[in-house]
Amino acid sequence: MLRSWAQALRQAVQSITRSGLMSLASLATVSVSLLVLAVVACVAVNLNLMARELESQLEIRAFLRDGVNPAARQALIEQIQALEGVRSVTFISKEEGLAMMRERLGEQRWILEELEENPLPDSLKIELADPHQVVAVAEKVAAFPQVEKVRYGQGVAEKLLAVTRAIRIAGLAMVLLLMVATVFTLANTIRLAVEARRREIAIMKLVGATDWFIRRPFVMAGILLGMVGAALAAGLVYMGYQYLVRFLVTNLPFVPVAPPAELMQPLGSGLLALGALLGMVGSWISLRRYLRV
Amino acid sequence: MVRFVNVTKIYPGQTKPSLQGINLEIDRGEFVFIVGPSGAGKSTLTRLIYREELPTSGQVWVGGINVAKLKRSQVPYFRRTLGVVFQDFKLLPDRTVFENVAFALEVTDASRREILRRVPAALELVGMRDKANQRAQELSGGEQQRVAVARAIVRNPSLVIADEPTGNLDPENAWQIMRLLLNINQMGTTVIVATHAREMVDALRKRVVALENGTIVRDEERGVYGYA
Repeated sequence: MLRSWAQALRQAVQSITRSGLMSLASLATVSVSLLVLAVVACVAVNLNLMARELESQLEIRAFLRDGVNPAARQALIEQIQALEGVRSVTFISKEEGLAMMRERLGEQRWILEELEENPLPDSLKIELADPHQVVAVAEKVAAFPQVEKVRYGQGVAEKLLAVTRAIRIAGLAMVLLLMVATVFTLANTIRLAVEARRREIAIMKLVGATDWFIRRPFVMAGILLGMVGAALAAGLVYMGYQYLVRFLVTNLPFVPVAPPAELMQPLGSGLLALGALLGMVGSWISLRRYLRV
Repeated sequence: MVRFVNVTKIYPGQTKPSLQGINLEIDRGEFVFIVGPSGAGKSTLTRLIYREELPTSGQVWVGGINVAKLKRSQVPYFRRTLGVVFQDFKLLPDRTVFENVAFALEVTDASRREILRRVPAALELVGMRDKANQRAQELSGGEQQRVAVARAIVRNPSLVIADEPTGNLDPENAWQIMRLLLNINQMGTTVIVATHAREMVDALRKRVVALENGTIVRDEERGVYGYA
């Protein structure tokens, strides 16, 4: 059993090397499409990261009515804390609020000097565990009688989430399209190898070889081609991404980027697995026609 | 062993049947010649037996199996119970004699031990053991056909079908192949030979089934070729 696998592998390598130029061409095609795929994946991951970062900055500010005593305030905090999707609730007193505002204004803090008394109300800063729930939580918080007004990135949150979703869908569609193209390229290469061994396949069938036995070396050849192509693509994207990250970190330090090591490990193994899968599907397709005897 | 029940075969795109109303019964252990002019349907008849073709109507039974009822996935296992010899040998030219015979066992996932036991025995029987390591393309036609016979019998089939096995050979080699097939038959294997080798058919006086225009015109024990 093991021996026949080894033999199938040997035949697979043989059929790849025998049709050298075509194998090379298909390797290149596989690499290029997987490379594009990897780039799309990198962009998607980083956009996601960016969106996530922006999403996580979405917070709700709840301004309290005057005269809510500390005990009632504490109770309110606990009630809000208990709401679904809330990560943390922080009390910001009117003094703290003023200090924060002063800091934000910077040079223009003189505006505040004109004030006779602190015009700011006490407030609560509510951070969310799930940014998708920002609207729902905000509505619930607004319903508490101690709360005078609620403020959050109305509209901005929804828009941001919609954009992220659109990017994910577009990326996925593109990746799917490329995968189909890759499968057909591989199928064509394997078809050539099959064509070269038509006679052998016919004889195999006559002496009672099962479809699977005939398929095996070609499927292996497909998997090998797919994986080698994927490895090339992974190598290229790894080098490119590292270079890009170095550039971004030095020149645009405020842009969040996924660290290369963290991104490349799953991406690399994902590409390899995908390459293998595409090769398998491609060779399967190319053989279907020849096995009908 | 083989039974044709009212078999008609019309190839797609043709109106004239290649075989029509064939009823034939071949018992276990028989040696049968199928004779007739070219185009009479000899090859079609053999192809129906090893299920290269399916009958348009009627039934073909081989070893108790109705071949038309076989599922696609069962066909390989069915073929493993048969040995087939072709006019053009159908060997793999760039493989050695040993590999060509071993091939028939490898497709069945036979163990190395079994291959090493059976292949030399089969090669011995056809007198090709000393050329086991030569490539098939380096052999003469007669030698190639002997290898093909070895491949056909290496799995100990109960039925061997030969379609014009001597058609590409000179008389001496043709006789050698025919003698091999007779040997195989004497060991208990049913042998069906489609041929138009008149001299051999006449000399051997075996059962002869004569085809003409797709129908059986004669079926005689100890028959002769019988065509001018």
